[in-house]
Amino acid sequence: MALAQRSRNASLLAGGTLVGLVVLAALVSFGWTPHDPLRVEATDRLLGPTGRYVFGTDRFGRDVASQLLVGARSTLYVGVVAVGLAALVGTPLGILAGMSRRWLGEFVMRANDLVLAFPALLLAIMFGAVFGAGTLTAMIAIGIATVPSFARIARSGTLQVMSTEYVLAARAAGRSPAFIARRHVLPNIAGLVIVQCSVSFAIAVLAEAALSFLGFGTRPPTPSWGRMLQESQELLAVEPRLALIPGIAIALAVLGFNLLGDGLRDRFDPRLEAYR
Amino acid sequence: MRRKARCAAVLALLAVLSSCSAGSTATVSQDESTLSVGFTAEPENFDFTSTDGAAIPQALLYNVYESLVKVDARGRIKPLLAKSWTVSRDRTVYDFQLRPDATFSNGAKFTARDVKFSIERAKTDWTISLKSKMDVVDRVEVLGPTHARVVLSRPSNSWLFDMASRVGAMFSRTGVADLANKPVGTGPYVVADRRRGDSIVLPENPNYWGRKPAYRTVVLKYIADPTALNNALLSNEIDVISQITAPDSVPQFEADNRFRVIQGTTSGEVVLAYNNAKPPLDDVRVRRALTMAIDRKALLDTAWAGRGELIGSMVPPTDPWFEDLSGAYPHDPARAKRLLASAGKQNMSLRLRIANLPYAMSAAQVIESELSEIGVRVTIEPLDFPAVWLKEVFTDHDYDMSIVQHVEARDIVTFGDPDFYWGYHNPRVARLLEQADSGPPSRQAGTMRRVARQITADAAANWLFLFPNVIAAKTKVTGLVPNQVSESFDLTGVKPAR
Amino acid sequence: MTTSAVLMALARRAAILLASVLVASVVIFLFMTVIPGDPAQVALGVNATPELLARTRHEFGLDRPLISQYLDWVGGVFSGDFGTSYVTREPIGPQLVDRLGVTVWLVGTGMLVALAMAIPLGTLAAVRHRKPSGAAISGFAQLGIAVPAFLAGMLLVQLFAVRLGWLPSGGWTPPNQDAGAFLRGLVLPALSLGLVQGAVLTRYVRTSVLDTLGQDYLRTARSKGLRPYQALFRHGLRNAALPVITVLGLQLATLLIGAVVVERVFVLPGLGSMLLDSVASRDLLAVQGIVLVLVVGVLLVNFVVDLLYTVLDPRLRGS
Repeated sequence: MALAQRSRNASLLAGGTLVGLVVLAALVSFGWTPHDPLRVEATDRLLGPTGRYVFGTDRFGRDVASQLLVGARSTLYVGVVAVGLAALVGTPLGILAGMSRRWLGEFVMRANDLVLAFPALLLAIMFGAVFGAGTLTAMIAIGIATVPSFARIARSGTLQVMSTEYVLAARAAGRSPAFIARRHVLPNIAGLVIVQCSVSFAIAVLAEAALSFLGFGTRPPTPSWGRMLQESQELLAVEPRLALIPGIAIALAVLGFNLLGDGLRDRFDPRLEAYR
Repeated sequence: MRRKARCAAVLALLAVLSSCSAGSTATVSQDESTLSVGFTAEPENFDFTSTDGAAIPQALLYNVYESLVKVDARGRIKPLLAKSWTVSRDRTVYDFQLRPDATFSNGAKFTARDVKFSIERAKTDWTISLKSKMDVVDRVEVLGPTHARVVLSRPSNSWLFDMASRVGAMFSRTGVADLANKPVGTGPYVVADRRRGDSIVLPENPNYWGRKPAYRTVVLKYIADPTALNNALLSNEIDVISQITAPDSVPQFEADNRFRVIQGTTSGEVVLAYNNAKPPLDDVRVRRALTMAIDRKALLDTAWAGRGELIGSMVPPTDPWFEDLSGAYPHDPARAKRLLASAGKQNMSLRLRIANLPYAMSAAQVIESELSEIGVRVTIEPLDFPAVWLKEVFTDHDYDMSIVQHVEARDIVTFGDPDFYWGYHNPRVARLLEQADSGPPSRQAGTMRRVARQITADAAANWLFLFPNVIAAKTKVTGLVPNQVSESFDLTGVKPAR
Repeated sequence: MTTSAVLMALARRAAILLASVLVASVVIFLFMTVIPGDPAQVALGVNATPELLARTRHEFGLDRPLISQYLDWVGGVFSGDFGTSYVTREPIGPQLVDRLGVTVWLVGTGMLVALAMAIPLGTLAAVRHRKPSGAAISGFAQLGIAVPAFLAGMLLVQLFAVRLGWLPSGGWTPPNQDAGAFLRGLVLPALSLGLVQGAVLTRYVRTSVLDTLGQDYLRTARSKGLRPYQALFRHGLRNAALPVITVLGLQLATLLIGAVVVERVFVLPGLGSMLLDSVASRDLLAVQGIVLVLVVGVLLVNFVVDLLYTVLDPRLRGS
């Protein structure tokens, strides 16, 4: 029990720290970066780490550290767009499906299953073909593909809440469904939704990297960790540092959001407590 | 019930797996008589009469299809299916003496009637824009089985040269039913088998009229990702990389004595195209300013690891009228800024719509950085090449600036066409090009040099650099052509080291 | 559960599957019509004259009403005819089957790798969840999830193909041609696809086994003196398997599309690389066919998972 308690707090703490670092990097990059991340310096290309360039320079002679800082913005942007869209659309749909037991609920969940049949990466590639490759396009696609997971979570949460005594009492007192949704359902499932946000955030960050690798992600020259990785993969044998630095950044960010999700889940879902 | 379901599931899985392996036939055997060459761009089909792009002639020309004449590594015209030829005094009548012993891979003999058929077919059935190279042909006469006469409507200094490219390929009258999938030519190799997304297998043509190729089978491997292509050579799955498109990775081959790196030139000018027909780039001062603002030496060093040549105009050094114009606009951001100010264009935002290929993606980022120094905002939009780029930039002229490599030989003539996507219209250039082609051959080079100087003076485009032909091969492979002057990856001279 | 009830449930699920496939086909078809770029223009290249364009559009059947174009397509697909590509001028159906074969091998072996890793590790992590070794496995799984699959693939290639020369860096040899080369070529792609998914799965197995361990009947069994493993193997595995199977279904869908990236890294001529090539050349009819196959594949997997769930879950069977 003691170890479990500690590991849960450790998850929360480690996740929070890593996510905090990403946010901090993004915030700092608005005010300060060691160098102009976009400035090409022909004479400074492919330099190793030095005092002047902490992480060295890439093949354009751009400062890797500055790119890394500004790239954190892309990472957050990606997650916020995709997860925001999914949560804002999926959660109400799930609540709707959970509260209306009739054909409407069934219809929503069927539509949900259908969207689920279009995996995120597939949808992103199709959207890229229609609207042109770019971060926003890709993330809207990822967001749409993530809607079902929010809808499912929200629905199952809602079903649980709807069978509780206080909701039954509220319904008996003639409260409107909108009131019940706002007053009872939403606050009770918020924890579940927040956990899902954190997990989906991690998935979105990985998806941006994969899409950048395939050429459907962030457009040059905007720095993004996925694109840094993509641009330096041909140098993996010669300058592994250039691929490993953004690769590690991505992995740490994903790890952070997953750990945060784990920690939050344990906090919001006490069911597992007994034997963890 | 449960056990049955499990059995059924296993059986179904097995059935799927075994049926899946049935459709594949491509054979790659690793012995001394087989050569395996890696490429990045895969032909969509085998029909270069209706599908544009460099990948099809690269694989097929001189290897599967042959033309009457071919271009050698130094840019000279040599006999191929024509043993010899004579040109009339007024330079409009070409008499070709054909090889008597050439046959097509479908068994049909190659005769003068096939010459007539092929040239006329280019004029009627071809759909790609290159067919216009045969516009100058008035008629083709069959004077005997091995004697063909081509009559031009006017003298042309470039026509015979063009006959060495894909438009001059000789087709069998009985072999054009399914060009997209079953090419029939007279060359040393035939197309046996293709595995889409993977490879094309070219076994030798047993009835070839000429010298037998040294490798009995050549496998063309298609690996879109430059890194994966490098890895394939490093881990011994291919013997040659036809052209390295990850320039910073070249040193790892140079440092390794298992491999040899051959660097030559191509006819591929990497061009920053300006939309001459549309404001603000219709103003020559703006174009000159942009050209001055970009340090091409630095661009070549960063975007392509310094491999390649600065040319300054649309002429590669392998053309007889080459002249180094790379110093025409020395890098001078301050002057560029003043020039923009005098044109009243201090706050420009330009769309740089590029082919989504490595060289363009790299060059675009350097250009974005350099132009931001003189206050020009650039938005980079990579477009799928060729499909989307061809549609939006090349056909619809929907762009301010673009970057693409112009690979066709002697494509400086495109500056004489006001409808070309440059949007460049200078009647003097069109007239000079006309004179160079139809005037006496002794004056051709001089006139072409004037064309090159004129388009450079007009800053009709920004010629960033000449794409290098960097081949990496195992040391045991010799006879690779260093300079890529033709459209073909010529396999005929490649042989094992003795 | 009586046989007729089973059949009823089966029929209902099958009907839902069929309806989903039909709706998906409409969605995909409509999507393709809004992609910019006229297939006739793409096929003809840069100097298409208006007359030629009109003729080609007619040849492709693009001048007919959308509804009849759709019915033609779907009708053809049901009889195995996916049409002839505008770009390659080859029938799409046989191409799809050939490419699907590669992808099925990749996903199948990737899944095996994932399972072979996740079941023992996940169980171990659950049984030892109070010990450092269990926590270490969990931590390792967390790290594994966080690594992009293509980076893992590229690093594996660098190490095992380029540096050590043990395995090929990519490429595909059909199994009926050279079984040895086929297997050697499949090792690295299957690993890079499977390890990451295995890490995800490990966590689910752990949670699921933990849940089961907490159930009353297992506590009873343990109170009778059975060791955790014995109790688990005798009583708990089927219950632990249920949630894992659900996740497995979802994962299979992820693997199917994750294969796109891995196929690019390892130059495998599978469905994913066909999709990317077709999108790049705007070969819309081919894209349409590939997307349909992928989506139907996912729907089928979900269908099978549903069925398995019904068969395995004693509670659902009872009702």
